[in-house]
Amino acid sequence: MSDMPKADELFKSIDYTPPLTGWMETPVDFSPGNWCYPAKPEKIEYINSKLPGLWGTPREWSPGDADWKLPPNWKETVVNGFRERLEKFRTLKLFMDICVRCGACADKCHFFIGSGDPKNMPVLRAELMRSVYRGEFTLAGKILSQLTGSRVMEEDVLKEWFIYFYQCTQCRRCSLYCPYGIDTAEVTMMARELMHLVGLNTNWIMEPVSNCNITGNHLGIQPHAFKDIVDFMVDDIEEITGRRVKAPLNEHGHEILFITPSGDVFADPGIYTFMGYLMLFDYLDLDYTMSTYASEGGNFGSFTNNEVMKKLNAKMYHEANRLGCKWILGGECGHMWRVVHQYMDTMNGDTQGPQMATPKSPITGTVFDTAAATKMLHIVEFTADLIKHGKLNLDPSRNDHLRVTFHDSCNPARGMGLLDEPRYVLKAVCNNFFEMPEGTTREQTFCCAGGSGLNTEEILEIRLRGGLPRGNALKYVQDKHGVNTLACICAIDRATLIPLADYWAPGVQVTGTHELVANALVFEEGEERTMDLRQEPLPGFEDEDDNWTPPNAEEA
Amino acid sequence: MHLISLALKRERMRFETELADRKTELSEKWADLVLGSYPKETRKIWGRQKDRFQNPVGAAIFDATRELFDLMLEWKDAEKIASGLDKLIRIRSVQDFSPSQAVSFVFLLKKLLREEFFKPMQAGGRLDELLRFEAKVDNLAMMSFDIYAKGRETMYRLRVEEVKRAQSSLLRKAGMIADVTADSSAD
Repeated sequence: MSDMPKADELFKSIDYTPPLTGWMETPVDFSPGNWCYPAKPEKIEYINSKLPGLWGTPREWSPGDADWKLPPNWKETVVNGFRERLEKFRTLKLFMDICVRCGACADKCHFFIGSGDPKNMPVLRAELMRSVYRGEFTLAGKILSQLTGSRVMEEDVLKEWFIYFYQCTQCRRCSLYCPYGIDTAEVTMMARELMHLVGLNTNWIMEPVSNCNITGNHLGIQPHAFKDIVDFMVDDIEEITGRRVKAPLNEHGHEILFITPSGDVFADPGIYTFMGYLMLFDYLDLDYTMSTYASEGGNFGSFTNNEVMKKLNAKMYHEANRLGCKWILGGECGHMWRVVHQYMDTMNGDTQGPQMATPKSPITGTVFDTAAATKMLHIVEFTADLIKHGKLNLDPSRNDHLRVTFHDSCNPARGMGLLDEPRYVLKAVCNNFFEMPEGTTREQTFCCAGGSGLNTEEILEIRLRGGLPRGNALKYVQDKHGVNTLACICAIDRATLIPLADYWAPGVQVTGTHELVANALVFEEGEERTMDLRQEPLPGFEDEDDNWTPPNAEEA
Repeated sequence: MHLISLALKRERMRFETELADRKTELSEKWADLVLGSYPKETRKIWGRQKDRFQNPVGAAIFDATRELFDLMLEWKDAEKIASGLDKLIRIRSVQDFSPSQAVSFVFLLKKLLREEFFKPMQAGGRLDELLRFEAKVDNLAMMSFDIYAKGRETMYRLRVEEVKRAQSSLLRKAGMIADVTADSSAD
């Protein structure tokens, strides 16, 4: 037995210990799965024709290749762009200067918590940019590069930016804990702006940007096809409830313009939330219209640069003016509300038409002063107000088979403080509601890991590890309370929480809040429903389809 | 025969008893080795933060090693062992690890056992007991491979389903989804 290999010898061949180099020297992994696919050249050509000079040269390239085909003057462009933004945005200058590296944010990012990669610590991710700031723009940094942790802009640094600033969902959880209130999301935004200048981009963001600018929705569906799809949903609602609801599109002269993410029109299960809106508005006989041109409330531009964010956002007021609407009602969406709440007034407030007024509920008379600046009201506030005034006939027992918890979507929660309204609505339409543990909800909510343009399948592993803190809290309430439904108020959530739940808490389904509202909504006294909006049988009606045989099986 | 097998059993149990006596210490050492597979800044934070919701990976490492250590001493319930392994593999297979690195934490137990017991047991002529126990670790490694592969298959399925969901209305618009329950169906 003496010739048994020693333990250490056995392990010499395989090294499970991570490198002991400091973060600046640790090389970045560029293998597939670590990055989103770059934008198709034609998408960049198109957007460059509308907003020239912000997108570098359109080209085929891959982050997996050694040569990213950067323009020859890329370094000058990035450094000059950086300087220009430091002068233009006081916040950026401040965020570059005041961080004392106290580490309060270090373990607050869902990507760090799930991956353990130190470059996902917000302080270090921002340091990727700060080190260049010091190296290029401060005297101390230029002289004492090692001592001050500074470096100049090199190709490796830029490539590292591309990997890590696309592993930030701009959720701002870290900012909540920063004693100085540094908004790391804005640091990420600036880094992405600079990368766009030299043509570093992702298709999952740029194709929707381009489509939204052309047709108004993220998939580039033309108005007549958009209408057909909405009509399908009207048919489905009729089949479920017996009631043919209105779905007004591009109609002039209504009081309200309703804008929601186009994901709710095209993607399962967002479509059920969309059906929920249609049913609620029909029930109220609301004087409203939707617009096919302003049919994507979510602003993919906010993931690129402030110029295109402004351009896409401008459609909202433009359509309100064109159609003669007094105010805008906004659907369940995440970053739409970050943009509306924090940037819209500054960017496009001066384009509000004279016909626009502070939102006032035509049903309850409530005036929503908090929306006086933008004239745009969140649907959950609208619905909570209806319930508070007893204007909805609700039968929450229709949702009795669901045991529901609520995921605070980052942008409405941290970006606009919408914490209690969705809970108020959910508790009115469901009898079984359970909170996830403290520290994982409300303003401390954990991100879905698919925001800010990262919800694409080629980086599924990155999303799943970023989604671990949320999934872990979800699993806890699944085990403890039998939770089987995760409600949210964001279209990206409705898409990305499904694989997240499937992986970390299998058996939990994802739903929008207004899907549950519409399930509970009693159109007329005595109305009986046998199925929910997904055409699944309600409790007590499970057996109806039991003797149905698939046609293929009959022939066999 | 009977006496011999009893003696053998007692012999076997002797090592298990030693392990059981030191299980808290040993399972924590195992957990530390697993933590050692992450960068040093991370190790510090994951070892320190005790809130399982703020530090789910750290919590899973300590939970799973403790649980698996107990289950290996019991060696009765394969289901429970699989679910203990799953706790860590589910996490490590979406982290930035190669497949072998993802399941390597099992072999870190072997490393620990050899460091702690190889020399004294060799001196006492009891290496066979160690090797017998190590066979259980090998079993864990085989199970881990299955669990890892199953997790990867889940991810492939999630990818496909995600693409389908994202375009569901368009497929319907294009007439590419046959609704066989509708009255107008072909049959």
